[in-house]
Amino acid sequence: MTDDRTLVAQALKGDRKAFEMIVRRYEQPLTSYLGRMTGEREAALDFAQDIFLKVYCSLGSYRPSYKFSTWLFKIASNHLIDHWRKKKLSTLSLDQSVDGEDGSLTPQVSDPSPPVDRKFELAEVRRRIERALESIPEAFRELFVLRHVNEFSYEEIADIKDLPVGTVKNRVFQAKEMLRKRLEGS
Amino acid sequence: MTNCPRLEDLYLYLEGELNPDEARELDAHLAACPACRDALTERRLLHEAFTSLPPLDVPRDFALAVMDRIPETAVPSAGWLTALAAGSAALVTCLLGFYLLTGQNLSDVLVAFSRSLGTASGRLLPFLAKMWKLAGIFLGVAADLFSELGRGLGLVTGFLGAGGLGLALCLGVILTLLLLYGAKRLLSLGERP
Repeated sequence: MTDDRTLVAQALKGDRKAFEMIVRRYEQPLTSYLGRMTGEREAALDFAQDIFLKVYCSLGSYRPSYKFSTWLFKIASNHLIDHWRKKKLSTLSLDQSVDGEDGSLTPQVSDPSPPVDRKFELAEVRRRIERALESIPEAFRELFVLRHVNEFSYEEIADIKDLPVGTVKNRVFQAKEMLRKRLEGS
Repeated sequence: MTNCPRLEDLYLYLEGELNPDEARELDAHLAACPACRDALTERRLLHEAFTSLPPLDVPRDFALAVMDRIPETAVPSAGWLTALAAGSAALVTCLLGFYLLTGQNLSDVLVAFSRSLGTASGRLLPFLAKMWKLAGIFLGVAADLFSELGRGLGLVTGFLGAGGLGLALCLGVILTLLLLYGAKRLLSLGERP
């Protein structure tokens, strides 16, 4: 399989097929990210088209020392920020911690009955997570999605978002605890 | 028994993000702490769900729809072709315009133009060759000079630090401005020595 950097070099020489291969390679990860961030599949597809167009026009500024996927998602993240800024959506302060969470471990009482069908249970939890994701602030949701849907490492997310690795880890953790609390409450 | 770990560390443990020593320490703690074991069990199912969220479906023709929106003009080779076409069109327009304004035959103009070009080239080429040689020497000297200057600045920066260098630069600028002001006063009309 041709690597991303080679495809970019070919696209820069005018090879449209090379860019089409890049699109095919990243259409699903990008749409999965955008879908979770916007909550609408159609909007995610429209955004994905705009972002690929932006990427094509910016190929000249891509530095091969940078990982292509990280660069692509940095553009996507900035595109979403611009969109939200235009729509002036309210965002939760990033200084706000998880409700009632002091960082210490609170003993939890586990469900004493063993799962009858773990697969079914997992599918149900996933369905509820998808719903709960829409209710957590986008700054936390985005890092959670980049980590668990797009499977970027914490270091790569730090690169995409220009944040310290420690901050990324903490926000992903906070997002998970927010989701857990919402799942408990639903 | 050691203190209970942070919740964040339980998630990092499930993700395999703790280093071996931290993981071993947590294992030891979990063996002795039922509350933390319960907390981990509860989060294990969540972790499995977090890490298995399905990707969204993309229409089969999505890539083609993107490619339809990609402008042809953004392709680098197209830029050269456009420039070449524009240059040729401009040359033809100039020659035609000259013919229409002066009334001279286009072939005469072209012959005169090529003769002038030949004469000019005959005179210019030796001169350009000399200039090329001189420029090479000059660039060599300038490169050495800048290299030494860079090394000198590096030493000064290391010696003075960022703050000291800033102060030195400010003093340099002030001194230059004073010198320029003095020179202007000396050169201005009516100035008496």
